[in-house]
Amino acid sequence: MQLGPSPASALPKPASWPVWLLLTLAAAALGFWMHGAGLDYYLSMISRMMIYGLAACSLNLILGYGGLVSFGHAAYLGIGAYTVGILITEGMPNGWLGFGLAMVVSALLALVIGAISLRTKGVYFIMITLAFAQMLFYLVNSVKAYGGDEGLNIKMRSDFGLGIVLKNNLHFFLLVLFCLVVCLAFMHMVMRSRMGRVVLAQRDDDIRTEALGFAVYRYQLALFVMAGAIGGLAGALLVNQQNYVSPNLMHWTQSGVLMIMVILGGVGTLAGGLWGALLLLTLEDLIAEVTPHWQFYVGWVLLAVVLLAPKGLSGLPDLWRRKPTPPSGGDA
Amino acid sequence: MTWILFLEQALNGLQFGLMLFLLASGLTLVFGIMDMINLAHGALYMVGAFLAAWLAQLTQSFVLGILLAVPLTALFGMVMESTLLRTLYARDHMSQVLATFSLILIINETVRMIWGTDMPLAAPASLSGPVELLPGLYYPSYRLVIIAVGLVLAGLLYLAVTRTRVGAWVRAGASNREMAMAMGINIKRLFTLVFGLGAALCAVAGALLGPLMAVQVGMGETVLILAFVVIVIGGIGSIWGAFVGSLLVGFVDTFGRTLMPALFREIFPPQVASAAGPAVASIMVYLLMAVVLFLRPQGLFSRR
Amino acid sequence: MSTQGPAAVLEIRKLVKSFGALRATDGVSLQVRPGEIHALIGPNGAGKTTLVAQLSGQLRPDEGEILFMGQVINDVSAHARVGLGMVRSFQITRLFKSFSVVDNVALAVQSLQPQRGSIWRSVAKDQALYETAMALLKKVGLAERAEQLAPALSHGEQRVLELSLALATEPKLLLLDEPMAGTGPEESQRIVEMIDSLRRDKQMAVLLVEHDMDAVFRLADRISVLVNGALIASGSPEDIRKDPQVRAAYLGDEAVSPAGAPA
Repeated sequence: MQLGPSPASALPKPASWPVWLLLTLAAAALGFWMHGAGLDYYLSMISRMMIYGLAACSLNLILGYGGLVSFGHAAYLGIGAYTVGILITEGMPNGWLGFGLAMVVSALLALVIGAISLRTKGVYFIMITLAFAQMLFYLVNSVKAYGGDEGLNIKMRSDFGLGIVLKNNLHFFLLVLFCLVVCLAFMHMVMRSRMGRVVLAQRDDDIRTEALGFAVYRYQLALFVMAGAIGGLAGALLVNQQNYVSPNLMHWTQSGVLMIMVILGGVGTLAGGLWGALLLLTLEDLIAEVTPHWQFYVGWVLLAVVLLAPKGLSGLPDLWRRKPTPPSGGDA
Repeated sequence: MTWILFLEQALNGLQFGLMLFLLASGLTLVFGIMDMINLAHGALYMVGAFLAAWLAQLTQSFVLGILLAVPLTALFGMVMESTLLRTLYARDHMSQVLATFSLILIINETVRMIWGTDMPLAAPASLSGPVELLPGLYYPSYRLVIIAVGLVLAGLLYLAVTRTRVGAWVRAGASNREMAMAMGINIKRLFTLVFGLGAALCAVAGALLGPLMAVQVGMGETVLILAFVVIVIGGIGSIWGAFVGSLLVGFVDTFGRTLMPALFREIFPPQVASAAGPAVASIMVYLLMAVVLFLRPQGLFSRR
Repeated sequence: MSTQGPAAVLEIRKLVKSFGALRATDGVSLQVRPGEIHALIGPNGAGKTTLVAQLSGQLRPDEGEILFMGQVINDVSAHARVGLGMVRSFQITRLFKSFSVVDNVALAVQSLQPQRGSIWRSVAKDQALYETAMALLKKVGLAERAEQLAPALSHGEQRVLELSLALATEPKLLLLDEPMAGTGPEESQRIVEMIDSLRRDKQMAVLLVEHDMDAVFRLADRISVLVNGALIASGSPEDIRKDPQVRAAYLGDEAVSPAGAPA
């Protein structure tokens, strides 16, 4: 008999590689078709949604799987974006350098912030992550050399060589798709690994996990750094997509938006952040066409989701079947 | 830095700190007693400011504007608590954060729909002039009024919490909710009352600060973070902690913004000073919080 | 420092822990020898759980030393102590609620592995891990519940699982904090048998904190009595049963029955 994790357990289900491959190819094909049909505007829009989806998925790593309510995740998005933006402004548009450095800087930042924050628990943890994000916001805001509060415009997109021209919307879309798939695969591998099991265990009961011999703090920190690095990657993609970055990207309310995406799409599911981002940004665009007060309606939708369907979209099937949802993670 | 400038900044710090206290005290009570993170607290501050501005326009009187806005905001807060927020007490912190965050979105847009993005609110003309406190030290009389109101309210709050029966209930609830319930205190009504009080204090702060800081949508978010920093420094559930924390934050922030750039100009070359000075100034408060949390992780006066 | 004959697995020397004015642990010294079941009894509030918390590393003692296998471990972190071979179970059941029974145990087994935190090893490929886990579950009688989520078990079964998690780490010393808490007669019997078999199977030392006197007198090789943070007696079950101080302070006027005999 093949022994392994129980289907009932919270570990992510094994991936069906054929399905993944199919979905990726389908998405790529969609991109090709849209580009060929002159729908570049919508292709660009979808790219943007996917970038936010990537950012939300990285937050989900620490929030959904780790059970750590970090309210400062937008900081990594911003730092990644600014790293690339500053490099391009200073005449170094090499994409490999820019994206690589963006991830390294974000990872280092996450290491420092995580090392300090993870020594606290509960609301103090939430507050201190929020405070760090605000610190970075104000710091970046006051650096006039790179735009200060007006933000930074970049004149060109990153240059990866190899015939990749990011100005071409199709090329950009494919780059985003590539990053998204690779990161999701990585996160899946991590959560299906031994480390993943420890992460899920400490979400349920960190004291018990510690009492079994695992140094919980180290696992949390490692997770934090991974999430930070991926967030930085998303930021690097975003500044390319918008040709612009502003400190507002790092404001704590942006972290709130990322959290909304995670909860809408499903806390603690691999691609929940992606679905949540797609849903939220689509809703935003649709409602914004009708009224400038789209935040009003989004607010009610989110409130309803939190109060009625705490597991987000992914929890809806449970609600329809009237199955009681298992106890949620969060702080004990 | 001259003595005059120093005293002026000290008074500014005091004024800012006292207004922060009005916000932080409500927040710390809600958190301490109901164990709920309420991000919408800043929205109440905004609602109070907008109501005051609108009513001041209607009645052509600043004072009437505030006097009417305060109970209305309190009422709004109590309705919000008894309908929506009550369901969150039993939920985990993440759900509370998300739900109250969505309330911010809803309230912000509602205010925008009713009154637009901002509203003018002017201090009464009689208070527009400066007062000579000491030879050479002129201070705006309006700010002096704010300080006076802040001190009076702080004093009243202290008396209410320490000398009245309701205050004793509040303190009991802050340290041990189950015990308070076992002693027969009507927890639900107490919660609603505490929330209403918090909302009222927010309204006072919002209305008083309106003429100085502009009444606009989103004004709550900036000040909310500072209020949270205050209660984390002061210790959750402690009014005295909120008071000390508010003053600390008020002084550090005010002096930071004026002293830091000057200090940096003395020490560092101009390019560094002009960039780093303001940057460091803006993060002084967060550095303060980090230091306090490092030395005393539960806050200065925590009851837990 | 003299070395004992058969080296003590656990030695506590003059341990002191105060909470303000309250001396929860008042100069406690005791030893647990290899293969021995050493019971710690005492009235509620005597400081038993505080002592266990200091041993497992969740609390730092104010004074005194804790030696494990002859090595002072006061500064060793809680999780590292498990690596050395000391593991505790909890009085209030602490299980991983979103994991199945077998996944709970598998995690405990995982902590023994040299690469216990690896991101490259998929859990699905950890056949050996699950085999070990299932073997343990069979031994404690929970094999049929393997695939069910932990909260689906009855309270007694959860206590058994709680104990199994500790056992799965193959410790040299087991700190059991009231394993029988809240269990009915059938489940307590099961747990007593589990602990009894430990004495037979392995050279596992056990420090057993318990209120259930039947279990204590049946299982214990030695008993120490804790009252108000201090040890008032320590010796064989016979000695303890007869000790007048113990009878006065704790056992009171109850006729203390030998294990198994009707009270």
